[in-house]
Amino acid sequence: MKISFTGKRAWGVASVVFIVAVWKLLSLLLGSEFVLPSPEKTLVTTLDLFGEKDFLAVVSSTIARGLAGFALSMVLGIGLGVAAGTDSRFNAFLQPILVTIRSIPVIALILLALIWFSPGSVPVFIAILTMFPFICINVIDGIKSVDPDLKEMAAFYRVSRARIIRELYIPGIMPFIISGASSAMGIGWRAIITGEVLSQPRYGIGTLMQGAQTFLNVDAVIAWTILAVAISFLFEKLIRMAEHRLIAWKR
Amino acid sequence: MTLKINHISKALGTLSLYRDFTIAFDHGRITCILGPSGCGKTTLLHIIGGIVLPDSGTLDGFAGKRISYIFQDPRLLPWKTARENIEFVLPHDLPPTERKQLADHFIDLVELRDFEGYYPARLSGGMRQRVAIARAFAFPSDIILMDEPLKGLDVKLKLNLIRTFSRIWESDRRTVIFVTHDVEESLLLSNEIIVMSRPPVHIADRRKVEIPVLDRSLESPTLMVMKSELIRVLGV
Repeated sequence: MKISFTGKRAWGVASVVFIVAVWKLLSLLLGSEFVLPSPEKTLVTTLDLFGEKDFLAVVSSTIARGLAGFALSMVLGIGLGVAAGTDSRFNAFLQPILVTIRSIPVIALILLALIWFSPGSVPVFIAILTMFPFICINVIDGIKSVDPDLKEMAAFYRVSRARIIRELYIPGIMPFIISGASSAMGIGWRAIITGEVLSQPRYGIGTLMQGAQTFLNVDAVIAWTILAVAISFLFEKLIRMAEHRLIAWKR
Repeated sequence: MTLKINHISKALGTLSLYRDFTIAFDHGRITCILGPSGCGKTTLLHIIGGIVLPDSGTLDGFAGKRISYIFQDPRLLPWKTARENIEFVLPHDLPPTERKQLADHFIDLVELRDFEGYYPARLSGGMRQRVAIARAFAFPSDIILMDEPLKGLDVKLKLNLIRTFSRIWESDRRTVIFVTHDVEESLLLSNEIIVMSRPPVHIADRRKVEIPVLDRSLESPTLMVMKSELIRVLGV
């Protein structure tokens, strides 16, 4: 057990080393710190970001938008998902709406949102529209997968409706909620930053990325990207930790 | 007083399962309903449990009775431990200490004390069915309904579960109605065997088995004779 764990970790580290090595090679080939800065220079730039004025305001604004979008998506996704999962007519009504939302190009949503909303809330709006269908569809699938034999058993023993929902349905769909939340978070951060790049709120990682790009500070664009990846990675870890606690019974 | 089902009729689609069917069950005894597959035994249990309504006819003596169930598969919630699965069905109006005592008592009787904190995935098939037995007895019921609870288990496990069940039942004699298509199971577990025909169902035969459950052996002459007679009546 322990050996395979360290083994996997070693391969993970190897993967990161591989990416950095390819990057370094490319930067040597191109021979221009301007077009593709070397990894070490970018690392310095990344560390410098922490010292930048308003750094905390920028990062916390982006994270706050992500969390707001995520929280609203969870509420919307679980609420509509439970309703659709338990009522086939509502499901038939909801499906075309979900398909439509998922098929609209993100850029089209942003262009419209720019007209409708303030710069700070555009990314949140975009994040909700990209995240909530994932959660919703997972919850619908989860409810459909709840074992009918268990439902019948609970009905035979006259278990109360509240307990059935709390102790049968919710734990039953938990693995589906978590996998929905995980894929939603993954695309959610990208949506937030894309939204920020185009809407230019006062504070935001996307705002500064766009600024750096305008002045051709390639190293700063990559540095902010690394930070965005780190944030995404951190929240993925948090979800995995929650999963570990919430579905301990699977092991 | 007996439990009685009077003149019921029930059709499933175009198939008339029961037509003016009447049957009575003794209190505090294990009655086995033995019949071929597809003769509507499970439907009868559903009618007794109040899950399915007959098209016509009445049920006597069932009003206000609490019923527990043992199914063919254990039907345990995978995210609850053995103990939590037992507590899940206990009525909400019981105080927590009483719930705990009830669960404790029956966990001991099915000999799962060391496994009460295990999730079903980590229990063997036999252990899971023992949790289901404990759950059925822990629920403060008057009647226990069992739908082919031993189907698909190997002989050793069957005998083991029959012994566990009988031991508990000897100290807590509830009315048990038990459905099977397996003659040997009916001989090993019941006080009375009612043989059902194919639909529309009538009672083809009715036998009492007087030997105490824990002393029974399929090799004993009495049960061997009864077995061949039951097989003949079943016509399988």
